[in-house]
Amino acid sequence: MMSRRTSMVVGLIVAALLLVGLAVGCGDDSSGGDGYKAAMATDVGKLGDKSFNDGVWAGLEQAQTDLKAEVSYLVSEQQTDYVPNLTRLTEDGNKVVFAVGFLMTDALAEVARANPDTFYGGVDVDLADETFTPYDLPNVREILFAEQQCGYLAGLVAANMTLTGDAHEFLNDDKVVGLVAGMKIPSVDRYIAGYIEAVKSVDPDIKVLLTYTDTFDDPSAGKEAAIPMYDAGADIVFQVAGKTGLGVFEAAKDKGAFAIGVDVDQSAELPEVILVSATKNLQKATMQTVKDAMDGNFTAGNWVFDLKNDGVGLSSFHDFDSIIPQTLKDAIEKAKADMAAGTLEPATLVDDTLVN
Amino acid sequence: MDLGHVFQVVLDILRDPSTYQAMLRISTPLALAAIGGAFCERTGVVNIALEGIMLVGAFSGALFSYYALNSWGLSESVAPWIGVLGAVTMGMLFSALHGVGSVHLRADQVVVGAALNIFALGATGFLTQALFGVAGATPRVASFDPIPIPLLSKIPFLGPVLFDHTPIVYMAIVIAIGGQYVLFRTPIGLRMRAVGEHPKAADTVGVSVYRIRYLGVLISGALGGLAGANLSLESVSQFSENMTRGRGFIALAANIFGKWTPLGSWLSSLLFGFAESLKLRTQVIDLPPEFILMLPYVLTIVVLAGAMGRAVPPNAIGKPYSKQ
Repeated sequence: MMSRRTSMVVGLIVAALLLVGLAVGCGDDSSGGDGYKAAMATDVGKLGDKSFNDGVWAGLEQAQTDLKAEVSYLVSEQQTDYVPNLTRLTEDGNKVVFAVGFLMTDALAEVARANPDTFYGGVDVDLADETFTPYDLPNVREILFAEQQCGYLAGLVAANMTLTGDAHEFLNDDKVVGLVAGMKIPSVDRYIAGYIEAVKSVDPDIKVLLTYTDTFDDPSAGKEAAIPMYDAGADIVFQVAGKTGLGVFEAAKDKGAFAIGVDVDQSAELPEVILVSATKNLQKATMQTVKDAMDGNFTAGNWVFDLKNDGVGLSSFHDFDSIIPQTLKDAIEKAKADMAAGTLEPATLVDDTLVN
Repeated sequence: MDLGHVFQVVLDILRDPSTYQAMLRISTPLALAAIGGAFCERTGVVNIALEGIMLVGAFSGALFSYYALNSWGLSESVAPWIGVLGAVTMGMLFSALHGVGSVHLRADQVVVGAALNIFALGATGFLTQALFGVAGATPRVASFDPIPIPLLSKIPFLGPVLFDHTPIVYMAIVIAIGGQYVLFRTPIGLRMRAVGEHPKAADTVGVSVYRIRYLGVLISGALGGLAGANLSLESVSQFSENMTRGRGFIALAANIFGKWTPLGSWLSSLLFGFAESLKLRTQVIDLPPEFILMLPYVLTIVVLAGAMGRAVPPNAIGKPYSKQ
């Protein structure tokens, strides 16, 4: 039998390991002055996705620099962390708490109802009840982006470049492009819908290969999803998959082909393969929300960031600017103007009506 | 939807060597960890810490490769090998913790393993932040490119499937066959199995139960670390937080599915890899993605229910041994 002393030692070691693991698991990086407190809870993609979560964090860091706000974050390891993380940030005295990602919708609604005195920013969150009827809460700003618009711009680039097979050694003559997606959620599908619609508008014969990896934090899966696309003749693959998408860039590098980044300008990740990025101005949206709350101008409800208010767009082409034909650049500007004016409205749903 | 068309596409996928090449790539981390699990559990120590060991291996691999290139002045082709060495060493050190808790202190092996998994997740995430100053993922590090084997890689079909891979993928094949030999055809293998089946009997004939169990745990640490290095130095070229994403648990299942044998672990990992590879290739057909995403699970259930006989675990598995 185990002696009492041994079992106590074992118990202590296990408890210590658990505590250390849990404590550092919830890396909480408070910094900066003693001012207005704002914080974010990441979704399971976490910081370091070089896109979605990092974009919101960049906005908070800007709020720290420009507004002297005191900012921090909590990492969600799994979906069951959402409510505890949001609650803890609320109890820590943060005036504005950001819930990052559609998957946090229900958690955000629950915590916001319980804490009416704290402001919440739900990024990609559109509150809706069981019957999908939208509703608003007085202390929640639902920060939404017109991903179909920047997805459309990415689609224009992909389609036009795949047709100009001689512009770069990475391009071929096959009329195929790809898209590696994360989970099937509304914001991801808006990107996809816009992308496919744009590709088909350029040439209906171009095939769009589409794969959902069902994860946002598995780069290996992203790579394995992209490889068969490149093998099938795709020379450009758009990734809408958070950290999973980092693997798409690896595949592009191995196969000597292009990838398109998402959410923020991802060029720095692998400059030699990232043609362009479809961007959401997460930084501006986050910063603006903190500022509004500080100035007493916080308004709840849906806030849509689109081409009209510089909320979405396309990054620069960096080193590839010289291979982009002027006609494509003109087409991008025209599409931007049309979408801003509302005369061009790309689809927002991936379903049967979207001919692929 | 035209059923004939779907059939044709599926047939094309099944005929395409790249489907099987991907199967081998995807199955490698699973296979290595599963074989490690087989060695460990054959000596009677349950190892649900495989997930944590892999994570430590993935992190250490990237870390050592990074420092080898950037601080120690080694070349881009040598650095990943230092990474592999680091991953294996750190995997063994980390699994030694499991040994101390499970073998030495006779704690509940499942509880120790679970604690180690949580610890690994937190510690690697924290160290990424602390050492590289960025949360969530390390910078890109020097990594392995595929090394096609001369002549063999030119064989039609089999060449690309088997002989055009990164180093750890080859190692996995060798380790599967070599491991099977060691565990079932050598004196040390016999001792390991004896300790897992009937530790008291092994003890009475002079086999050190503790030493053999530590050996089993350390082997799982080395192979788990190697599995992690495959993720961070071959599959992609960086560590990102929680990048194993449950592969350690799938490996645990593959080990059981393979009846606690190295070869069986490898084969069942190949099955998981095949299902995954198929999943990623069949999505381009116009089938509902929900249908395709469940494919690996359905395949697993069908095989588990149909093809596999009863799995008999080592007799003394999970039971701490004490001389008294």
